[in-house]
Amino acid sequence: MAELTHTDAVFRPKPSQPPPPNTVGAIGWLRKNLFGGPFDSLMTIVGASLIAYFAYALFQYGVVNAVWEADSYRECLDATKGAGACWAGVDKWMNNYLYGRYPDAEQWRVNLGGLILAVWLAPFWFPKVTHKIMVGVSAVLTFPFLAAQMFLGGDAIWFMQGMVAVALTLFAAVWLHVIACYTGYKSLGDALVRLTGFADKDDRLHKYVFLVAFGAVWFAALIFQANWDLKPVQTTNWGGLFLTLVISGIGISTALPSGVILALGRRSKMPVIRVFCTAFIELFRSVPLITILFMAVTMMPLFLPVTLNPDKLVLVIVAVCIFAAAYMAEIVRGGLQAINNGQYEAAQAMGLNYWKMMTLIVMPQALKLMIPNIVGNFIGLLKDTTLVSIIGLYDILLMVRASGQDPKWLGMHTEPMLFAAAVFFVICFVMSKYSQHLERTIGGGYGRR
Amino acid sequence: MAVLEKGSPRGRSRSLSEWLNDERVRSVLYQAIVAIVVIAVARYLFTNTSENLQARGMSAGFDFLTSSAGFSIAWSVLPYTAGDSYFHVYLVGIGNTLMVALVAILCTTLLGFFVGIMRLSKNWLISQIAAWYVEILRNTPLLLQILFWFLAVFSLLPRPNKSLSFLDLFFLNNRGLYMPAPVPGEGFNVTLIAVLVAIAATYALAVWARKRHFATGQRFPAFWTGLGVLFGLPLLVFLVTGSPLSFDYAALKGFNFQGGASVPPAFCALLLALVIYHSAYMAEAVRAGIMSVSHGQTEAAYSLGLRPGMTLRLVIIPQAMRAVVPPMISNWMNVVKNSSLAIAIGYPDLVAVYMQTSLNQSGHAIEIVAMVMLFYMSVSLSISFALNYYNKIVQLKER
Amino acid sequence: MSLETVDSEGQHIASAVSDEVVINLSQVNKWYGDFHVLKDIDLTVYKGERIVICGPSGSGKSTLIRCINRLEEHQRGDIQVNGVTMDTNLKNIDAIRRDVGMVFQQFNLFPHLTVLENCTLAPIWVKNMAKSEAESVAMTLLERVQIPEQAAKYPGQLSGGQQQRVAIARSLAMNPNIMLFDEPTSALDPEMISEVLDVMVGLAESGMTMLVVTHEMGFAKRVADRVIFMDQGEIVEQNTPGEFFNNPKSDRTKLFLSQILAH
Repeated sequence: MAELTHTDAVFRPKPSQPPPPNTVGAIGWLRKNLFGGPFDSLMTIVGASLIAYFAYALFQYGVVNAVWEADSYRECLDATKGAGACWAGVDKWMNNYLYGRYPDAEQWRVNLGGLILAVWLAPFWFPKVTHKIMVGVSAVLTFPFLAAQMFLGGDAIWFMQGMVAVALTLFAAVWLHVIACYTGYKSLGDALVRLTGFADKDDRLHKYVFLVAFGAVWFAALIFQANWDLKPVQTTNWGGLFLTLVISGIGISTALPSGVILALGRRSKMPVIRVFCTAFIELFRSVPLITILFMAVTMMPLFLPVTLNPDKLVLVIVAVCIFAAAYMAEIVRGGLQAINNGQYEAAQAMGLNYWKMMTLIVMPQALKLMIPNIVGNFIGLLKDTTLVSIIGLYDILLMVRASGQDPKWLGMHTEPMLFAAAVFFVICFVMSKYSQHLERTIGGGYGRR
Repeated sequence: MAVLEKGSPRGRSRSLSEWLNDERVRSVLYQAIVAIVVIAVARYLFTNTSENLQARGMSAGFDFLTSSAGFSIAWSVLPYTAGDSYFHVYLVGIGNTLMVALVAILCTTLLGFFVGIMRLSKNWLISQIAAWYVEILRNTPLLLQILFWFLAVFSLLPRPNKSLSFLDLFFLNNRGLYMPAPVPGEGFNVTLIAVLVAIAATYALAVWARKRHFATGQRFPAFWTGLGVLFGLPLLVFLVTGSPLSFDYAALKGFNFQGGASVPPAFCALLLALVIYHSAYMAEAVRAGIMSVSHGQTEAAYSLGLRPGMTLRLVIIPQAMRAVVPPMISNWMNVVKNSSLAIAIGYPDLVAVYMQTSLNQSGHAIEIVAMVMLFYMSVSLSISFALNYYNKIVQLKER
Repeated sequence: MSLETVDSEGQHIASAVSDEVVINLSQVNKWYGDFHVLKDIDLTVYKGERIVICGPSGSGKSTLIRCINRLEEHQRGDIQVNGVTMDTNLKNIDAIRRDVGMVFQQFNLFPHLTVLENCTLAPIWVKNMAKSEAESVAMTLLERVQIPEQAAKYPGQLSGGQQQRVAIARSLAMNPNIMLFDEPTSALDPEMISEVLDVMVGLAESGMTMLVVTHEMGFAKRVADRVIFMDQGEIVEQNTPGEFFNNPKSDRTKLFLSQILAH
């Protein structure tokens, strides 16, 4: 067999040479991607001229000839003869596009609510924070109560007051937890136990520490919120982007849990449950959202007791939630089907019961596979929320239409619509790119949780 | 073989907890609970509804369908007059919905394929143009796009007396799109028969060419000959029989156009928005489908000596279609559903004329909502049946 | 390695090399971006010659044979196949591809066509052969690779070894005078390797010109007229199998052989 001896010819690889200059670098790239042949070059030239033409026209319309200061659409038209955009009108209406008819003096409540949600969820992006799922669950379950109270104002019933205090407590807990995680503790619970000196005591005593701490903070929060004196704002005054985000936000946060339940029901071995879930999903998936919205505002009041007289916004939110849940159920079902049967068998062989198997083994894997579809569904829901304008809720789209019917700004349609389109594009595009990023970083099932 | 039964042998009474832990008992119990809850809720809603109806002095039922609707519909495919019944309104609405949806499906499929193939172009610029087309259209709401085309484009068109015209045959203005309407004359039926004959002949030619190719190896330019027959034969017959077809041209009379055929601006805006919006989704389906065919297939075909065009036709497209057709068909379903946004710009589709106008006027919310949902559900069900059938026949045979 | 098993089966197959040149590469260079994959490759292949190319992964051996039927485009140097010069002329590329068959590591059978249709596709559409004739040719070839009974099945229903044999039959259906094999057994389970190698040995016995990229050293010893060892984009050493295995010249070759034959 071959053995190395000192008499061998020693292999010295030839040094790599630089490639021919016209195949690499900028020129190589151009030749390969833009000017590969006569037809290719022609297409490139046609494409480039089209882009240049549209970019120029848009620049002329949106910047060069645009009017930034005016008091009516007439003024704009006189100034530009229609060749430029009238951003002055968009600027004057901006407040309405964002908040609807929410009183100017109270809009800080909306902003503060949004800020609280952002701060609440920010720890998701902190690498050291543990128990991120609990952070998300606490926000989804209790933030709506806090937000409802802040946005609606007025006197709340005892249940709302209690839930608002719970929300405030959990919000504080999340951030104390973040601080604990960054000062060397494993979690907030760990910090509490160690700081109070219960670390060496019996484990069973720990929960009393948590309860006492929670109770104390909750009570403080209850007293704190009882002093709030927020002016009531009717839901009929809610509007603009704010309303769009409220409706779609509630739809999105309820869609996932209810979609999971419906999907499990549809895959259940129990025929009664399976039939109900399948019928629900198929019914609401096969009809357009607008018919569900019409159903909500015309049919649902007939179904409910005469005395109830429900708020239109509540009816619409219910309709959106039903619609979103039905779509999410099919996405979850697809994700569950993608999980290898071996995973179910392994979980059962380990002695896990149905719910433990689902929550510990199947769902974590399935949810990862579903991320792109879930985000796609969220984007779809955000876009579909604009349909509430058809049944007369003053979301951003109806505000956009209203501004073009305002006597002062009569006929101003294009500019507000371009503005609204830009708002939606930014939100949806960022969401979809972020989901692609998540998909890459989480990986196909073997990445970190 | 005798099997020893474990657990609860007959004859011994079982304790309650043992009984509750039986898999089958639990299953029945859960189902019973769900069924009882659903029935209770349904009963509650039903009682409320009948109380509500009584309070409003109304009765449920489909009797209203035969009574006269009394309102007029701006534009319809099916003939309609204001005195027709509500049921007729329902049918007219379905007709208008299907009209816009079918045209949109046809156009969106063609445009979607075009953009999808652009997206796959090796030319970076072309592929980027297609990518941004898709991104921009998919990330803005359809309703906004419909309103944009309606308010910012079709409503800003000139008045009829300053119409944009194409060859003086087609006129576009803020009242709609006007075009010549064909009026068949004496003996035009012969031409129609010739069209049918030409279609049959082209098909026969294709079959014959294929057979001959397989039998002798000789190729016949069936595509071009077929195209010639398809258009040539009817044209020849048409000319021989003395051109028995005239057109009713649209012409400006006073303040508006008279004669010809026309569609309202709302139809144009809705159609354009639906086509452009859904073409973005279609393009993605086409792109994903073609990408799903591995590059090894192309290499194998090339190494056998197949030219790129033939590789596409014989190897790539047959495989890509399996991946493209399912999302394409569900996209068609979305076109039908999204055509209901017509209501926002006043195109008289099913939702607009029936679920809005008729419902407001008659007050029969439950019946009308149910009828409208029934229509969309039956379209959806027939499409999903077609899809399942397709999936069944194209499924790749594997172990 | 299946060195011993194949070795014990028999002697080296009689060589049938003529002095007619069928493939000639001179000073061929290729880059992937900035990466220099083929460096000044010179190679002459004679009619009936059987060449085995081996080397570590990334040495450019697959790229080399893929340049011979233009699945990869070389940037500098000349390639002539059957006297036709490889350039951008589509007619020349067509002519070369018609006469050069190729078998891939991943089989690349067409999954939507039956085994028989896989074998008749190119004869019918490229050579304009009558279907019945193409089918009878295909059946003969399927018999030669010993799976005529699978003709009506789809590729997905076959084992890996069977699929690779169909792939060989599919290439042979175009009646090529040169066959390229790109690691034909690397994607196969061990027990299926020999059934594919047997077919290739049979092909060698019939006098086909073959270029085989493989790590099956037993096959190389038994079939090859010449073994080429490549590393870092160049031909390090080429020799008859006897000399190559028993008396390698280069230290790099020895290292490679000691690694590949260690188990």
